[in-house]
Amino acid sequence: MNLKLGKAQLLRCPPGTSLQDEGRVLGANYGIPRSGAMDLHGYHWANHLLQNPQQVVALEMAQPGLRIKFEEPCLVSLAGAVAFVTVNQAPISNPSIIAMGSEDILEIGKFRAGARLYLCIEGGFQVEKYLGSGSDFVSITTPAKRSTGETLYYISNQPKTVLKAKPKWTTNWFEPEEIQAYPGPDWELLSPAQHSQLLNQPFHISKLSNRMGIQLDELVVNELEDLPTNPVFPGTVQLTPGGKIIVLMRDAGVTGGYPRILQLTEEAQNRLAQKKTGDPINFQLI
Amino acid sequence: MKPTYQLISPTLGELVWNTDPTDELLSIQFAYLTYIQTNFSTTLLEVRQGFTRLSLVWKNSTSQQEFIQLSGTLNLIPEPLPEKIWQVPVCYSPKFGQDLESFARSKSLSTEEVIQLHTQPRYRIHFFGFLPGFFYLNGLSPKLHLPRKSIPSPAVPPGSVAIGGKQTGIYPIQSPGGWHIIGRSPLPFFDRKQDPPVWAKPGEQIQFILINPTQLENWTDEDTKIFLQ
Repeated sequence: MNLKLGKAQLLRCPPGTSLQDEGRVLGANYGIPRSGAMDLHGYHWANHLLQNPQQVVALEMAQPGLRIKFEEPCLVSLAGAVAFVTVNQAPISNPSIIAMGSEDILEIGKFRAGARLYLCIEGGFQVEKYLGSGSDFVSITTPAKRSTGETLYYISNQPKTVLKAKPKWTTNWFEPEEIQAYPGPDWELLSPAQHSQLLNQPFHISKLSNRMGIQLDELVVNELEDLPTNPVFPGTVQLTPGGKIIVLMRDAGVTGGYPRILQLTEEAQNRLAQKKTGDPINFQLI
Repeated sequence: MKPTYQLISPTLGELVWNTDPTDELLSIQFAYLTYIQTNFSTTLLEVRQGFTRLSLVWKNSTSQQEFIQLSGTLNLIPEPLPEKIWQVPVCYSPKFGQDLESFARSKSLSTEEVIQLHTQPRYRIHFFGFLPGFFYLNGLSPKLHLPRKSIPSPAVPPGSVAIGGKQTGIYPIQSPGGWHIIGRSPLPFFDRKQDPPVWAKPGEQIQFILINPTQLENWTDEDTKIFLQ
């Protein structure tokens, strides 16, 4: 088969846009975070639509505004958040899979639901991989995140026939407020009053949230001292001396010194990744 | 020094030691690491090391249950720690250690005393965390313990040598940071183009060596090679 490298130009790239796959597991020994898609469910679904192999690289967006021009024909898919999408300024009613022609411009408008959108392309974006992953991270990839004016590369074939029955992406799974979690390693250090507050009070997503961690607005009064630094993972919930709750996400460091009070399930991490600033959540213990 | 096993999720758990981090504990952690990596490599996804824990990520819940059954009966012999001592050059001056003078004032010490207390011990590398290539070091003099800054600096330069709480460390890459910056080392601490990307290993030791600002400013790759032999 004659493979041709296509170019995709980021005509406009909003902050918080990065290339992601499932992330890397072998770097923790050197202090390298896992990284990878914040909502793996959305990432996997978009790749499944294109019948992509595992671990292909997709574009993750945390804000609307992307404008991308594909120089060669290709097939793309979108999942995760639900956004208004246009191709050459014409609205697309169901953007699950889109066949892009030569020089076509795809534009992502306002998110109608969810907080993180995945743009996948047949065969994935072509980047150098490190420890089995192409996920962007400072000191691991150059650049460490994506910006306006950059060019991405993909393998351009004549796209496969687009499925006649267009699959519909639903958001039902991330709408509930329940966030399921196991008791963390330091859960037993908390008082009954702290347990009760954590499990019975709604918390809201703070604007101080990024790929390293999602902070919550409400404080939990905390007198615990810092502990010896020990391992943390995506989904570990930390309680700071100031009473702030931080849910560690995919780019978090591999160890931490704050009490580790909860550990979110994989499903809950994906759901949380789709919550917007101000959205309420309720922790539910398993 | 027998650990307990704490189950966190069906596929995540940790070996727990409720003692202060010491060389003795590190020797036992190494023995467990070797044992686990030798015998469970096919069912284990990842091991992460901390000061008083080893966290184990299993491929499935059955593998974790099998390990729990076994772990209570284990009686491992502590593993000797490596003897390698790395010399790490550091320029302690207000120009490169922006918090050196305020740090000394907070501790009622002269800057000379801070430098003397910081360069005296050998520090044991326990593991890497926080950032790629960030050493977690044990051995800071209690005379230099100081809580972290209330407002973190937005951009700490790479090579910055810092103190936070009971710990000292070196920022391998530019990062926001809440530790007090007392100096700068010219060595590279993380380079993904090298294999492995960090030159030191857990268990090895670090000794800080005083250099002056002229030496720091004129540092060459050849100088680095001499230190990293």
